[in-house]
Amino acid sequence: MIGPTPTQALRRLHDALGAPPGEVEVHVLRHRGTCGDAVDAAAITLDVGAPVADAACDGACWAAPAATVVRPGHRHRFARLDRGVPDELAACVRGECDEPQAGSGEAGLTVRLGRNDGSLTDVLTRGGYGAYAVAAMLQPARILEVLRGVGLTGRGGAHFPVATKWGLLAAHEHPEKVLVVNAEEGEPGVFKDRHLLEGDPHRLVEGMLIACRATGIHEAYVYINGQARNGRDAFERALADAAAAGILDGTAFGGDPVTIEVRSGAGGYVCGEESVILNSIEGERPVPRFKPPFATDSGLWGRPTLINNAETLCAVTTIFDSPPPPTKLLPLSGDVPRPGLYEVPVDGNMTWASVLAMAGVAPARVQALLLGGPSGRFVLPEEFDTPLEMRTLGAGGTVVLGPRADIAAITRSLAAYNARESCGECTPCREGTQRLVQLLADPATNRDRIDALIEVMTEASLCALGGMAGRHVTSALAAFPDAFEVTDPTEASR
Amino acid sequence: MPASQSAPYDSAAPADAERLQWALRSVDALPRRRDQLLPALLVAQHALGWLPRAAIEHAAAHIRVPVSEVYATATGYSELLLERPTPGTWHVCTGVSCDLAGGRALLDAVSEALPGHALEIDCQFLCALAPVAVDDAERLHGRVTPSRILDAATERAST
Repeated sequence: MIGPTPTQALRRLHDALGAPPGEVEVHVLRHRGTCGDAVDAAAITLDVGAPVADAACDGACWAAPAATVVRPGHRHRFARLDRGVPDELAACVRGECDEPQAGSGEAGLTVRLGRNDGSLTDVLTRGGYGAYAVAAMLQPARILEVLRGVGLTGRGGAHFPVATKWGLLAAHEHPEKVLVVNAEEGEPGVFKDRHLLEGDPHRLVEGMLIACRATGIHEAYVYINGQARNGRDAFERALADAAAAGILDGTAFGGDPVTIEVRSGAGGYVCGEESVILNSIEGERPVPRFKPPFATDSGLWGRPTLINNAETLCAVTTIFDSPPPPTKLLPLSGDVPRPGLYEVPVDGNMTWASVLAMAGVAPARVQALLLGGPSGRFVLPEEFDTPLEMRTLGAGGTVVLGPRADIAAITRSLAAYNARESCGECTPCREGTQRLVQLLADPATNRDRIDALIEVMTEASLCALGGMAGRHVTSALAAFPDAFEVTDPTEASR
Repeated sequence: MPASQSAPYDSAAPADAERLQWALRSVDALPRRRDQLLPALLVAQHALGWLPRAAIEHAAAHIRVPVSEVYATATGYSELLLERPTPGTWHVCTGVSCDLAGGRALLDAVSEALPGHALEIDCQFLCALAPVAVDDAERLHGRVTPSRILDAATERAST
C-alpha cells in the first residue's frame, strides 16, 4: 500500500494538532447557537466549579437555554435554565448524579451536535474525517460501489439515488466539473441544515471531500441561506481550520486538492430549487431553468455540476459505518412539548406515533401533521402507526397540529405564501398560485376549478414550487372537507 | 460610472454619506465578475442596512451590467431591501408554527402598542422556539411575549 493508512493519517493529524489523549475532563457546555441566542443563553451564569465552553444547539431546541455537564462516560443536559440553574447541575459536576446520558444517539449525523466546542481537534477526537481518511485511499469507482451498496438517497426531498447522480458526474471527463451544495433550506418549518452547519460543520466538509474524490471534482460552492449567519460563520471557520490542517489540499489524507467557496443566498423559497441556485451563483435573476439539460450535464457556467443537499453530504460520512444508520433528520415544531431536531431511523420500525412520543405528545392529542410546509401534505392519525418511508418524508419539516389548529386558515396561509414566493418565471405558477388563493375563499363551490387548476400547475410549472403548490390544498380538501367556510363572497364568486 | 456620479444617498446626513462611501468601497473590493453581483448587493446592504439607488447603480457599474438587470435581480430576493427600513421596527413571524404559538396575536399586540413599528414576516426557521420576532438589528428572539418586545422598545427609547 502506498501512503499512510487511514488510522496513521488520522493519528498524524491528531498529533500535529495536539489533540488531548485519554478521557475528557469534567466541563460544562453552554448551548448557544441560533437557538440559545434567541432566548438569551449567553446571559445564563454557570458558576458551578467546572470550566464552561460554548457549544451549538444539540437539537433539543425545546430545552434552550440549556447546558450539558460532561464527565468521562457521562453527559447530562439541564434544560430551560432561564427558569433558574438547578442545584442538581453543580451536583452533577461533582459527580453526585447518575442520570442517563442525554441528547442524541451514538451514531448518525447528529452525534456531534452540541457535544464539542467546534474545534477541529475535538471533532477529530469524535470520529471526524474518519470516513474521508478511508475514501481518500480508495479508487473513485470503489467509493461509488460502496455508496450503491448502501443505497443512500438524496435527503433534500427528491430522494434520488446518490450513487446514480455521482456516477453521472464521474463519467464526465470535463476538467472543470463542479460540486454545488444546497444549504439554502428556505422551506418554512425546516431547520435541519442550520443545525448541521452550526453544530458539526466539519461533517459537511468531509462529505463534500468524499463526493469530490468519488467524482473527480476539484471545485465546490456551498450555497447557504442568507439568514443562516451563524451556520455560515461556523462553516467558514471549519473550512479555514481544515485548510490549515492540510485536509483540503490532500496533504493530510492524500486525495486531490479541492477548493471550496461559500455563497450566501438572500431569501426566497424558490432559491432552494437547484437550478435557481445556479442562476443565483452566476449573478443572474433567481429563477429556475428549463430541464433538460440537467445540471449533471450542463449546470454552473455550463459545466457538469453535482448538486447535493447539505444533509445528503453529511449522510455520506456514514457510508463506511457497519451498518450505516438509515436515518432522516426531522425538524419538528408546532403543538408539541419538545420541538426540535430529531434524527430518526427509517428502518421499517419507526412510525409517526414513535416520533410523537419522543417529542412528548400523545397521538390522540394530534389532529394532523403538516409534512413539507407549503409544498407538503397533511398526515392524518390513521397513518401514525404505519412505518415511515424515506421517499414520503420530503425535506422532513413537520409541524404538529393540535386539536385547536385551524386547518382552513393554515391551508389558505400556505397558499398565500406560495403566491408571494412565486418568482413569476412561468405562467402556471405565477397566475395559478394567485388564482388558487382566490378560489380557496369558497372551496366547496369552486372545487372543480381548484382541482383543474392544481392539475395544470402540477403538470406545467417550471419547477417544484409551482408543481407542488397545490399539494397541501388537495390534501386538506380531501381530509378536512368540512373545515372550510366561505371567507369573502365577492372573492368566491369571481 | 464612478461613484462620484451616483446620486447622493442622503445629502442632508453626513453620516449616511460616509456609510455610503464604505458600502461603495466594499463593492469595489470584489472581483468585477457577473457572479459577484449578489455578493456586491449583500455587502452594500450590510454596510447601509438597505439598498439605495446609489448603491444599485454603483454595483451595476462595478459588475458592468445594466442597472435594470441589477434591479431585476435584486427584486428576486426577499431579504434585499429597496426601501429604507424604519428604525425600531419589529418583524413578527406568522408562519404555521409561530401562528399556532400565538404569533398573530403577538403581531396585533405589538401593532397596537407600537403603531407603525410592527410588520408581519414569513418563517424565520426558528420554529422550535415559536413565536419568533426579529428586531431592527436582525436579531432573532424566541418564545416572544408582547411585554418582552415592549420592554425592549422602552429600553431603546431611554438610551
